[in-house]
Amino acid sequence: MNYSSSVKPVFCPGCGDFGVHAALLRALTELNIDKSSVAIVSGIGCSSSMPHLFSTYGMHSLHGRPLPVATGMRLANSKLTVIVTTGDGDAYGIGSAHLLHVARRNVDITMIVMNNQIYGLTTGQASPTSLIGAKTVSTPFGDIEEPINPLAVALSAGATYVARGFSGDPMNAAELIKNGILHNGFALIDMLSPCVTFNTLNTYDWFRKRVYKLGADHDPSNFGKAIEKAMEPEATGWEKIPIGLFYQTKRPTYEELDVTTKNGPLIETPMPSSGDVEKALEIYK
Amino acid sequence: MADIVIRIAASSGDGVESSGSLLSKIAARSGLNAYYSRGYQSVIRGGHVWSQVRISDAQIYSQGDGIDILVALNQDAIDNQSGQLNSGAFVIYDTSKANADVLKGKGYKLVGMPLIELAVENAGDPIARNVVSIGALLKILGLDIKVFEKILSEMFLRKGQAVVDNNVKAANAGYNFAGIEKAYELKGDGKARYIINGNTALAIGAYASGCKFYAAYPMTPASTIMNWFAANENRGVVFKQTEDEIAAINMTIGAATAGVRAMCGTSGGGFSLMVEGLGLAGMTETPIVVVESQRTGPSTGLPTKTEQGDMLFVMHASQGEFPRIVVAPRSVDEAFYVAADAFNLAERYQCPVIILMDLFLSESSRTVDSFDFSKVKVDRGKIATAAGSERFKRYEITPDGVSPRSIPGTQGLEFIAASDEHDEYGDLVSDVLAGLEISVETRRKMHEKRMRKIDTMLKNENVFVPHVDTEGADYYLVCFGSTTGAALEAAERLRAAGKKVGVISFNYLMPMDKEKTKMLLAGKKLIDVECNYTGQLAYLLAANAGIDIEHKILRYDGEPITAAYITEKANEIMLKW
Repeated sequence: MNYSSSVKPVFCPGCGDFGVHAALLRALTELNIDKSSVAIVSGIGCSSSMPHLFSTYGMHSLHGRPLPVATGMRLANSKLTVIVTTGDGDAYGIGSAHLLHVARRNVDITMIVMNNQIYGLTTGQASPTSLIGAKTVSTPFGDIEEPINPLAVALSAGATYVARGFSGDPMNAAELIKNGILHNGFALIDMLSPCVTFNTLNTYDWFRKRVYKLGADHDPSNFGKAIEKAMEPEATGWEKIPIGLFYQTKRPTYEELDVTTKNGPLIETPMPSSGDVEKALEIYK
Repeated sequence: MADIVIRIAASSGDGVESSGSLLSKIAARSGLNAYYSRGYQSVIRGGHVWSQVRISDAQIYSQGDGIDILVALNQDAIDNQSGQLNSGAFVIYDTSKANADVLKGKGYKLVGMPLIELAVENAGDPIARNVVSIGALLKILGLDIKVFEKILSEMFLRKGQAVVDNNVKAANAGYNFAGIEKAYELKGDGKARYIINGNTALAIGAYASGCKFYAAYPMTPASTIMNWFAANENRGVVFKQTEDEIAAINMTIGAATAGVRAMCGTSGGGFSLMVEGLGLAGMTETPIVVVESQRTGPSTGLPTKTEQGDMLFVMHASQGEFPRIVVAPRSVDEAFYVAADAFNLAERYQCPVIILMDLFLSESSRTVDSFDFSKVKVDRGKIATAAGSERFKRYEITPDGVSPRSIPGTQGLEFIAASDEHDEYGDLVSDVLAGLEISVETRRKMHEKRMRKIDTMLKNENVFVPHVDTEGADYYLVCFGSTTGAALEAAERLRAAGKKVGVISFNYLMPMDKEKTKMLLAGKKLIDVECNYTGQLAYLLAANAGIDIEHKILRYDGEPITAAYITEKANEIMLKW
């Protein structure tokens, strides 16, 4: 099945998001899901133009709001494969509250965050994942805020699939996305995706020196180890950045627990008859 | 004919709310008309609260004025409420908690009752004093205590027959209390009625029309809509409590995009957070329904008090321009039909519909004879179901501005909805194309396409005009939404006093059929009646219909406007005219 649309990417030459695009395309192709049952939802930012590159359903929504839109879609029709493509400003800044709540609800959404540690589309301001000392147009004297650790946040909020990929390794990224889609529950894939235009600190070279794949010795069912690995960049002064699957566990999804959606997609429940309405009104008589 | 206002006053936590709802239910089952409203505060225990139940054997449209029977369960109730007593009013007070000495010698009928003692004696629980007092009220009102006994047995059945028997005993102790006599002649018509509040009627109206998804964050006075959907999830609907109102509206947009009729609700503060989402629905042409139940603002304001201060806000909320429909139900039963209709309008025109409620309408209950389900018709608008040979144009430019939408899951009709300006396919014209000739033209055409839906609505729907009550009157009270009930009764009283006064009321406020509205209003002596400071409806009419209403009756102290309030002010205005 061809998942591509006729729309051409508008990323800067060399942008990390090309790699993420390739990875998502590969993941979908390998899974061969009917594209009419796929919805790709994004927010606002460079990475959020992603849905337009696909010939599936989807929405390019508001800054920070793809998760609630995606949640609404899943609750309305649990037959849809819902994927969120977004950036660090969207996911960890303006929309950070939604991340906590979608994780604890365990809605079956696969969220890919193209994390470039900068606000690109607004021409280079600090983002919630910019490192301390990062000089940007909004932090000309160096960033003084501790960066968010998205993996640790997602883990503590109850996410059931937590991974990190690197757009410099699209094959591995595709594998993480594919497994995220197959995972029954909320999956966060933080995707290190360098901004070649505005982020002069966290470049491909910078990442290549630091990124390493979690080995077979990492047990993704071990929550404590997952937290430890999630904190490794901070613990090593950003010398070691692990990628791969940090954590995966089984927990019923929101859709499986909700009184109504556990019986099947909401969209397929019948319309109430006038007798049903009368019954609903009965207690007010 | 009798028309009686009963007020039960005490502290929060004393059960005046259940007393009010019980009394109104007894009236409704006795074939009478009732209107039940509450005065309460933002405290869970303590403070001063009351329930007001108006009972009549004639049709009533508002909560009534003054107090004919006061049930004072503590001293505060005597001290705070006696100013509103009508002449000759009954005052039943709990002798263990209050004395009514200050009211002696003023022509009131004072009835001291040891309510707590009677409750303990008969039901073994002081909480039953509300049941005792209702028993006493029924005697005075001349209502059949059997109706109450039946309600008590339904209520307490789960707790066992002993609890039922105790409560029935307590009710009869009140009913048979020495010195209480029947004082009114209420003639019920034998037909049991519904007694339901505005929010519940709205929620069930939405359910009736196939609304399956409701998302909200708790906020007074919208929360009872949430409570209904939460309690009725097993009827095949989903209620989602969200982290904030931003999530609520965006989930609603997601659910509506996926093809389910979806609604969210809040008050002004939460609506402020929803504003960006409202624009998203406008831009992506997603059919959603948003309930805004107004309370006294600005900011947190008076969270438990009413106002009509958000009308212009909801009409203009969001950056940019897009079609929207704003409708303010004028009564509890209208809230049911408006909610059902809102989804048809939203889907027919693929735009947000805002149902503008207010605390008074949301939380007041009134009797409704019946609901006409045949009026609830479902029209889902233009939906594309079969793929053509070309790529699907979700935002196809059409003469009426409405483009067929597809439901995700339908093969060959995939599209990406965009908050950016886009072309007929949904592809962006906002990035690499912005400012290019082709994009400038696309923007113009797409904006015109969306805005054209307003003309289509006005052409195809006949609801966007005001309602005239009493043709050929000399003066008209002009109002919208919940104020209408009190205005109708004020006009009735003024007519009874020899003044020819009618009412022109608005429910579907936006868009406005300017020509027809102008025709209906021009050349008439108009008095604007609203619960706000600036006269927002008058402003709207000046802007849209060129009608300038000089005389206004405005109330913005948080209390609902009453027929007496309007009558008095209208008399003053007419005297000077």
